[in-house]
Amino acid sequence: MRKENFMEKQRNLIRLSILLLDSLNELKKAKLRQTQSVMEDFSIRCSDATKNSHLFHKAIEKGWLTGADNIRSRVSRNLNDFSYYLQRFKELVNADETALPKLSEIYAELIQIEQEFGEIKFDPNEKAISVTTETITLEDISFGPFEIKLFIDQINKLYSDAPYRIIALEPNPAGSDDSITHPHVSNEKLCEGDGHVAIRSAIEQGRFCDFFTMAVNILQTYNPDSPYISLDDWEGVSCYDCGCTVSDDGCYYCEYCERDYCPECSTCCQKCDTTICLGCAYECPSCNEPVCQGCTAKCKDCEETFCKDCLTEEGLCQNCQEQRKEDSDEEQHEVAEKPKADAAVQSDSMGETIVHA
Amino acid sequence: MRILYVNNDGAGFADYVNVTEGTTVEQFFTIKMEGREPSDYLIRVNRQPVPKDYVLQEGDRVTITPTKIEGARLVIA
Repeated sequence: MRKENFMEKQRNLIRLSILLLDSLNELKKAKLRQTQSVMEDFSIRCSDATKNSHLFHKAIEKGWLTGADNIRSRVSRNLNDFSYYLQRFKELVNADETALPKLSEIYAELIQIEQEFGEIKFDPNEKAISVTTETITLEDISFGPFEIKLFIDQINKLYSDAPYRIIALEPNPAGSDDSITHPHVSNEKLCEGDGHVAIRSAIEQGRFCDFFTMAVNILQTYNPDSPYISLDDWEGVSCYDCGCTVSDDGCYYCEYCERDYCPECSTCCQKCDTTICLGCAYECPSCNEPVCQGCTAKCKDCEETFCKDCLTEEGLCQNCQEQRKEDSDEEQHEVAEKPKADAAVQSDSMGETIVHA
Repeated sequence: MRILYVNNDGAGFADYVNVTEGTTVEQFFTIKMEGREPSDYLIRVNRQPVPKDYVLQEGDRVTITPTKIEGARLVIA
């Protein structure tokens, strides 16, 4: 039974080796297609130069000197492009040819991966091989173990995209961004930094164990000069307004919009001391103090919003209060000056008395 | 004699090189990685860890991989 299991395992490894070798073949084809594309671009430029040469010859023969000058100007402008395409073509054609590894070498790589990392997992649906790291800890912050998953069908896109993902199995993401599960991993993509070229070479040459080893070593190394989020800010939260990272202790929670803010983007109501963000704060046009919505009211006359302290008992702002007072004074003044037109009309016989004869 | 030398440091290197017969792994490292500490690297010969006084043989495969590789954050221009 044990022997059968062992044989089954060897068969699986051989099948996996064949898949990997096929993917490296596809990668080589992709690279050669790229060379072909550059070669075609260069050929087109050569054809253009030949056409211009014929036209130039004709123009001179026919005495069309202005035409000849125009063609010469066009050729001069195109010379820069021509140099660029020639250089690109030279680089690709002269690049070192990567020899494909043998099937036995890829098989040996898989055996070595098992020895270095324990089990190799193969997902037949995703056609991916993966290894799991130990828990990664950097400066006392634990990020849990990671799965490094290499997608076999994407190896041929090595030059345009990374064919692997770094999956956090027990994530401890940055407080301000869930997608950052490690200082150098964002959205499951590893930013390889110093390891970029060596990782590409390793995959291209079929040195898969070297690839996994380097990926693990990058996860185990902290580069304080270029992380997505530094370890100092790892436990912090992101200010909802300006986006800066603030520590848990240093952030302020707005009671109204229920978001977290940094000290610069928040304030407190000068009337009730409630913490609010600058967006939810209202500046009273009378006293210029920031207040929360709960401490504001509208003036009954002008309907502008003020803090409650700046409104009178009648619910008026200072201006409207004064305006009302002015209006009232004016009214009284007008009443005083007006003729008594409405005094009671005297009867005709007022002041008269009956005198008996 | 010829051995396959794979260096995963920096831009990487993978090719056959000539070494003098009797060269140990430690000596080879000192020549190729002058000024570097072996403890900062994972050294494998024929895919296996070996003692530092292992004497290299014809056709051996030596791989040197740095244990500390600094990642970065992607900056989109």
